[in-house]
Amino acid sequence: MTSIPASIPAEAVRPTATRSIDWWRWGGRVFLVFLLIFTVLPMAWMLLTSIKTQFAALQYPPQWWPAEPTLQNYTRLLDPSGSIGKEFLLYFWNSFYVSLATTILGVAVAVPAAYAFSRFRFPGRTFLFFAVLLRNMFPAVVFLVPLFLLMRWLGLVNTHGSLILTYLTFGLPLSIWLLKGFFDNIPIQLEQAARIDGATRFQAFLLIVMPLSSPGIIATSIFSFIGAWNEYVYAYTFLSKQETMTLPVGIQRFFTEFATDWPGLMAATFMMSVPVVVLFLVLQKYFVRALTEGAVKH
Amino acid sequence: MAQVVLKDVVKNYGNVYAVNHVSLTVEDGEFVALVGPSGCGKTTTLNLVAGLIPMSGGDVVIGDRIVTDLDPKDRDIAMVFQNYALYPNKTVYRNLAFPLQMRKLPKDEIDKKVQAAAKVLDITHLLERKPRELSGGQQQRVALGRALVRDPRVFLMDEPLSNLDAKLRVQMRSEIKRFHQDLHATVIYVTHDQLEAVTMADKMAVMNGGFLQQYDSPANVFANPVNMFVASFVGSPAMSLIPLAAVTRGTEVALTSPEGWELPLSPANARKALNAKSPKVVLGARHSTVKLHKSQVPGSVPGKVYTVEPTGDITFAQVFVSSAILNISLAPSVQIRPDEPVFIEFDQDKMHLFDGETEMALKAD
Ligand SMILES: Nc1ncnc2c1ncn2[C@@H]1O[C@H](COP(=O)(O)OP(=O)(O)O)[C@@H](O)[C@H]1O
Ligand SMILES: [Mg+2]
Repeated sequence: MTSIPASIPAEAVRPTATRSIDWWRWGGRVFLVFLLIFTVLPMAWMLLTSIKTQFAALQYPPQWWPAEPTLQNYTRLLDPSGSIGKEFLLYFWNSFYVSLATTILGVAVAVPAAYAFSRFRFPGRTFLFFAVLLRNMFPAVVFLVPLFLLMRWLGLVNTHGSLILTYLTFGLPLSIWLLKGFFDNIPIQLEQAARIDGATRFQAFLLIVMPLSSPGIIATSIFSFIGAWNEYVYAYTFLSKQETMTLPVGIQRFFTEFATDWPGLMAATFMMSVPVVVLFLVLQKYFVRALTEGAVKH
Repeated sequence: MAQVVLKDVVKNYGNVYAVNHVSLTVEDGEFVALVGPSGCGKTTTLNLVAGLIPMSGGDVVIGDRIVTDLDPKDRDIAMVFQNYALYPNKTVYRNLAFPLQMRKLPKDEIDKKVQAAAKVLDITHLLERKPRELSGGQQQRVALGRALVRDPRVFLMDEPLSNLDAKLRVQMRSEIKRFHQDLHATVIYVTHDQLEAVTMADKMAVMNGGFLQQYDSPANVFANPVNMFVASFVGSPAMSLIPLAAVTRGTEVALTSPEGWELPLSPANARKALNAKSPKVVLGARHSTVKLHKSQVPGSVPGKVYTVEPTGDITFAQVFVSSAILNISLAPSVQIRPDEPVFIEFDQDKMHLFDGETEMALKAD
C-alpha cells in the first residue's frame, strides 16, 4: 500500500461546539419534582396517620412524626374475630371478587373481539369499532340512571352481577382498542406460517398470537382490575346491603359509624391501595411495553 | 413431490382483480419462478396455492388432489415468507420443530430431523438462539430450514432473498438452486427480480396486472417475448422500444419516424409489420443486437448520445432515437461523448416488432 499524503489547508478553521444551559430541560426537572411532591405527600401523610393513635391523629398542631407509632389499626382491620375486621375483610373480598370477575370476563370478551377487529374484514366493521369507542366519549355518570333502571328491571340490584356487568361495559372499549393495536402489530405472516406448518386457525391464534400479545393482555387486565377496584359511584348506587358492599363504599362507614376514626380510615385506605400497587409493580414492564408497542406501528 | 395445477384461478377484492383467470401447470420436480412488477398479484397467487386466502374462482390441484377447499395444513406444502415469519418467541430449534410437533411426530424423530436440517443449512450453532439474535442471512437460513425439515409436496417461496444484501443474495440464490436439484423438489418461487427468475428457474411465469403474460423457459421468454410488457421486463438493461409507423413503398415496407427518417425492413419483418392492426408498429431491440456508427452507413438511423456508463468490460450507452431511449452495449475502446450525433444500425434478424395498438408481438404468417 502506498499512502497518499494529505495536508489540511492553512485557512481551515476548527469550529468548537458551544453548549449553553438548557433551560427547558431544567424547567422540566423542576416541574417533575413539584409533581412528585404533590402526589407523594398525601400518600405519605396517609401512611403516617395510619400508624398514629386516634388521640395523636386529632392533635393540633399536628404531630409530623407519630410519637408512639402503632400497628394497632392494621391488626384491628385484619383480625377476623373483631367486628371491624370482619366487616373490612368482607368488603375486601367483595371488591376482589368483583374486580377479578370483571377482569377475567373482560379479557375473555376483549381478546376475541380485538382479534376480529384486527384481522377480519366484515360488513359494519368500522361502524362497530367506532360504536365501541363512542361509549368513552361520555362521562360514566351519564349512564347511572339508565343503568340503574336496567339493573332493576333485570332484578340485579344489590348483586355483584350488576357491578360486574357495568364495569365490563366501561372497561371493554379501552381493552378492545388496546388489544387491537397489539394484534395489528403482529405480522399476519406468523399465523400464515403456523397454518402452513400444520396448525388450525385456532391453534395458530393460541400457540403463536396469544403468547406474543401477552404484554397487551396483561396491561388490559391491569386496566380493568384497577378500574373495577376503585369504582365508587356505581357501587354506591347499586349496592345498599352491607354484606354486598365493596371497599370504596364500605370504607365510608368509618366516617359515620365510628365517628371518623382517622387512623382506621387511613389504614383501610392504605390496605386498599396495596393490591393495585403490587399488581402494578410486578407487571409494570409489560404495562409500559403495551402502551408503547401497541400504540406505535413499526 | 408433486405436480401443481392452477386452473382458471381468480381472486378479486371488489373490483380489483389481484389474480385474473390464471392457469398454469408446474410439473413434478420443476422450479417455476412467478415474476412481475410489485403489485401484479404474485403473492396473492402463491397464497391461493397455499390456501391462506379464499379463492374467488377456479381450482388448485396438488398431486392427485383438488385442494381448493382444503385448509393450508392439509395441503402438505411448505412456505418461505419474504419477512421470514419466524416465531419470535421460540428458539431456532423450536421454530424448526414446530411443523413436526404439529404433525405429532415422536420427540426423538423430531430431534433427528431438526438436527439434520440444521446441519444441511449450517445453523447447528444457532439452535438455541431467538430469531432476533440472528443476522438477516441467518434468519433466512432458519426460514428455509423450517420449510426443509419435513418433506412437503411443494415448496412455496415468496421473495425469500429480497431482504438480503446483494452479495448474500447471489450466494443464497445458488444454494436454493442446489437444494432444488438435490431434493428434486417442486418449487414455486415468487420474485420481482427478473434476473433471479432467469438464473434460477426451469420456467418463468411473467405476470402483470393480475394476468399471466407468458409461461415458458427463461431462454424462450427472452428470445420471443409475447408482448411489449414481457419484452421490456425481462433482460437487463431492458429491451428498448421505439414507436414508429409502417409505410409501404411499392414492394418494400419501411418504418418511419416522426422526424422523417426511414428504416427499410427485410421481407420477413415486412410481413410482420403488415400484420399490425394499424400502421403503428413498435420496434424492439436488445442492447447487444444494435451497432453504433459515428457516420451514416446504409440502413442506419440517426440518434444522439444521452449518457455513457463505463462498467469496466462493457460500456453501456443510452441514445435518443426518435422519441425513445435506446440502450446499447459497446466495447470500452469506443470513445463517445454525451450529445454526440451517432448512427444506429439494427440487426434485422434479431429485432422485435410489436403491434402499436395491441402491444402484442407481430408474427410473420
Ligand atoms: N387484502 C387485500 N385487499 C385489497 N386489495 C388487495 C389485498 N391484497 C392484495 N390486494 C391487491 O392485489 C394486488 C396484488 O397484490 P400482491 O399479490 O400482494 O402483489 P405482489 O405481486 O407485489 O406480490 C395489489 O394491487 C394489491 O393492492
Ligand atoms: Mg408480494
